[in-house]
Amino acid sequence: MIFNKPMEQGKADEGRLDELFRAYRAACPAPEPGANFMPNIWARIEAREVSTNWFGRVAKTLVTAALAASMILGMMISSTNQSSAFFNATFVDALRADHASSLEPLHLDRISQFAPE
Amino acid sequence: MLVEFDLIQKAQKGDASAFNEIVSAYRRRIMGTISHVIGRPEDVEDVAQEVFIRLYFSLGQLRTAEVFEPWLYRLTVNASYDYLRKSRRRIESRMADLSEQQVMMADAVAGSRAQHDDSEKRRVRDTVQELLSTVSEEDRILLTLKEVEGLSLKELEKIYDVNENALKVRLFRARQRVLKKMKEVTGPSSFNAKDEEAS
Repeated sequence: MIFNKPMEQGKADEGRLDELFRAYRAACPAPEPGANFMPNIWARIEAREVSTNWFGRVAKTLVTAALAASMILGMMISSTNQSSAFFNATFVDALRADHASSLEPLHLDRISQFAPE
Repeated sequence: MLVEFDLIQKAQKGDASAFNEIVSAYRRRIMGTISHVIGRPEDVEDVAQEVFIRLYFSLGQLRTAEVFEPWLYRLTVNASYDYLRKSRRRIESRMADLSEQQVMMADAVAGSRAQHDDSEKRRVRDTVQELLSTVSEEDRILLTLKEVEGLSLKELEKIYDVNENALKVRLFRARQRVLKKMKEVTGPSSFNAKDEEAS
C-alpha cells in the first residue's frame, strides 16, 4: 500500500491540474469582437500596404541606381584599357618585346660556327 | 472547415467580401484561442486582428484546403508568441514612462475588468497564468492548445509540423514543470490532505 502512495498522489495532482485547466477555459471566454473589428483590420492592411509599397519603391530606386553606377564604372574602365597598348598586350607579347634578341629561334647554320674544330 | 475552399480561392484573387466572410467565420474561434493563450481579454482583439492581417498577406501561398485550418492556427500561435514576448518587455517598463492618457486608459480597463470579473474567475486566471509562467512562451502556447483548447496530438502535429513523439516529450516536460509549480503554489493535494486526516 505504501508503494502506491506516490503514484496515487501523482494521479491526484494530475487530476487537479486538469481541473484547473478546465476552470481556466471557463474563466477565459472568447470576447465578442467589437463593431470596429473589420474596419480596423482593413485600415491596418492598407497602412501596411502603403509602407510595403514605399519600401518597394525605395529598394527599386536603389537597385536601379546601383546598376547604372556599375554600368558607368564598367564603361569607364573598358575605355581606359583600350587607350593603353600596354594592357592590350599579353604576358608573352610583353616578354617578347623586352627580350626580342634572346628569344630569337636558333639557326643550325649559326650553331655550326660554334662547333669544335 | 468553417468555409468552403471556393471562398478562400476568391479571397486569394483579391475579393474583399470573401475575405470578410472568412474573418467572420473564424474570428470567434481565433479570439477564443488567443484569449486562452495570452490570458488578457483587453488585448485579444488586437492580436486577433494581427492574425487576420497576416492571413491576408500570406493567403496567396495556400494551395490546398486541408492545410487552411492548421495554417491559420500556426498564424495564431505565432502572433500570440510575438505578443507574449512583447508583453514581457512591456512589464519591465515603468508606469512613469506612460503618458497621462495611457495611465487613465489602463485604469479604465482595470476598473471595467474588475467590475465584470468575479473574484473566483480572476483567481483561477491568475493561478494558471502564474503556473504557465514557469515554462517558455513556446511551451506555454503548446500546453494551452493541448490542455485548454483541447486540440489533439494529430492537430498539433499539423500546426507545428513536427512528429507526434517530439510533441509528446515536449508536452510531458512542460506539464511536469507546471505540476511542480502547482504543488508549490496551491499546497498539498486533496489526496494528501485526506491521507493526513486519516492517519
